[in-house]
Amino acid sequence: MSVYKHNYRAYTGRVTPLWTRVLVLARYGLAEVWSSKVSIGLFTISLVPFLVFLVGIYLANNPIARFLVTKGSTPAPGFAINAAFFLKMLENQSWFALVLASWIAPRLITFDLADNALPILLSHPISRFGYVLGKFIALFAALSLVTWIPSLMLFAYQGYSSAQPWAFANLPIAAGLLAGAVIWIVFLSILGLALSSWVKWRVVATGIIFAAVFVPAGVGGIASAILRTKWGLLLNVPVMMTELWCRLLGAPDPMRPGQAIPTAAIVAMLVAACFICMGMLNKRIRAREVVRG
Amino acid sequence: MNDRIIFEDVSKFYGEVLGVNRISLSIPPGITTLVGPNGSGKTTLMNLMTGLVLPSSGHISVLGLTPADATEFFSNVGYCTQFDSFPRGLTGWQFIYDGLMLHGISEIDAFGLTRESLDRVELGDASGRSIASYSNGMRQKIRLAQAIAHHPRVLVLDEPLNGLDPVARAESLALFEELGRQGMHLVISSHILDEVDRISDRVVLITGGYLVAEGNIHQVRQEVRDKPMQVLVRCDHPELLASKMFAVNHCVEARMHADGQGVFLRTGDIDQFYSLLNGIAVEGLIKIETVAPADDDANAIYQYLIGSNGSAS
Repeated sequence: MSVYKHNYRAYTGRVTPLWTRVLVLARYGLAEVWSSKVSIGLFTISLVPFLVFLVGIYLANNPIARFLVTKGSTPAPGFAINAAFFLKMLENQSWFALVLASWIAPRLITFDLADNALPILLSHPISRFGYVLGKFIALFAALSLVTWIPSLMLFAYQGYSSAQPWAFANLPIAAGLLAGAVIWIVFLSILGLALSSWVKWRVVATGIIFAAVFVPAGVGGIASAILRTKWGLLLNVPVMMTELWCRLLGAPDPMRPGQAIPTAAIVAMLVAACFICMGMLNKRIRAREVVRG
Repeated sequence: MNDRIIFEDVSKFYGEVLGVNRISLSIPPGITTLVGPNGSGKTTLMNLMTGLVLPSSGHISVLGLTPADATEFFSNVGYCTQFDSFPRGLTGWQFIYDGLMLHGISEIDAFGLTRESLDRVELGDASGRSIASYSNGMRQKIRLAQAIAHHPRVLVLDEPLNGLDPVARAESLALFEELGRQGMHLVISSHILDEVDRISDRVVLITGGYLVAEGNIHQVRQEVRDKPMQVLVRCDHPELLASKMFAVNHCVEARMHADGQGVFLRTGDIDQFYSLLNGIAVEGLIKIETVAPADDDANAIYQYLIGSNGSAS
C-alpha cells in the first residue's frame, strides 16, 4: 500500500465565466478559416461585387463622374440607389456566402470528427452545445464579412455621398439588409455545420451543402409543375429568400401575382429546417469514441 | 467533498450493444488499474467516469461531483484519451494553453500551468512545433501534459504507455507513482500487466462489460481460491522441502527452479502452507533463504479470471 503524503494541490485560482470559453473554440474556428488559401481567395473574390456597387454609388452621387462614364446619355433606370439596388447587392453577396459556407463549415466540424478530437475537447467544461456554438460563431463571423457588413458599409457610404438627407429616410433598407443577411447566414451556418457533422470527408460535405440547397429546389419545382401549386416553392431556398429579402427591404416582389408565398410560411420553413439541423447536430456531436461490440 | 469515485449499479448500452453492465465500484485515492481484453468496456468505464457519456442506468459520482456541474467537475478531472487524436493544426503549446482556457483558467495562470505541464513531460523544447510533426511518443506525452495541466484531482489515463519508448515509459510510470503518492486518484487502463503490477495499488478486472474482480492485487489473488497459489521457496534442500510439503494434501504441485536452489510449490491453502513452512524453518533441517509468491501478480490474476480468450472463467 502506498503511503500518501496528500500534498497534491488542485488548481484553486480564478476561473473565467462559462460563456467566454465558447470564444476559445470560436477563435480555433476562425484560425482554421483563415489558414486556408482557398478561403482567403474566396473572400477576396467576394469583395469584387462590393467594389462594383461602391463605384455604382459613387457614380450615382457624382454628376461629373457619371457624365464622363455615360458620355452624356441618361443612366439606366437600375442605376438609382434604392431598395432594389441593395437587394441586388444582398443577392450577390448571399451567393458568395453559400460558397464560403460550403467551404468553411466542413473545415470546422469534419476535421474534428475525422481526427476524433471531440473526446479531448469535450473533456473540458464545455458542453456539446457550447462546442457547436463556438463553431457557429466562427462561421457566422466569417459569413458576416461578406454579407451584412459590406452591405451596411455601402448603405453608410450612400448616406454619406447623397446630396439629400438620404440615410434617415431609408433606414428600413438598412434594417432589412441587416435582418435579411443575418437570417440567411444563420440558416447557412446551421445547415453547413449540421451537414458537415454527418460526413467525415470535407469535399463530400461541401458537395452535400450545395446539394441541400439546390436539390430540394429542383424537387419543389417539379412538384409545383405537376401539382400546379405554388407551395413547391417552399423547397426552393433561393426563391424563398429572395421573396423574404424583397419584403424586408421594401423592394418590388419579382413573383407573379398569386405565386407569392406568405412570409409566415417562409419563416416556418426556415425554422423547421433549422430544427432538423439542430437534431442532426445533437445526434452526431458526441464524445463517444469507439463502440466495440 | 467525498474522496472516492463511486459507481452505483451503472450500466451503459449503445443501442443494443453492451458497454458495461451493473458496475458497482468505490475507488479510493491512489493508482487503480483497469485490466481487461479489447472491447471489455474499459474505455466506456473511463468515458462514464469523465462524464463524456451518460450511463443508461445507475449513478456515478467523482469526489461527490457529477458532470451536471461542468466547471467544478472538469476542473477536478483530467482525461488522457486512448486515441491519437488532436484538433488539427495546433502546436503543443497551443494545445495545452487553449485547453486551459477552455477550463476557464485566466491567461496569466494558463501561461504558467502550460509551461509547468510541458516541463513535467519534458516537451518544453518541442512545444512550438506542430503536433502533427511529433513522434508517437511525443504525442502520447502531450496528451498526458494536457490531462495534468489544470491540476486535476482525478486523472483518467486510457492506455497512457502505448507508443512510449522504454525510457519515456519509465519516466511516465515514475510520474504516475509520484502523483499517486501525493494523494491523487489515477485510473489507468493498460495492457502491460508487468507495469500494472509495479505501480498499482489496486486493479479492476473487467471483461465483456462485466466486473470480474476489484481490489488489491494480493487480496484478489487470495480470493481466487479455485486456483492453487504458487510460491517460490529458495533453500539449500529444495527436494527435501518438496517431499515434506507433499506430506500434506493441500500441496498439489512442486517444480524445481532451474538453478536447483529453489522450488515452486503450488498450494490450495496458503495459510496452512505458511504455517507448515514456519515449522520446517524452525526445525532447522532446511535453510530457507527467501519465500515469495510466484503467481501473485496482475498477469496471473488476468490469466485465472479472464483467460487468454478474454472470457471470464
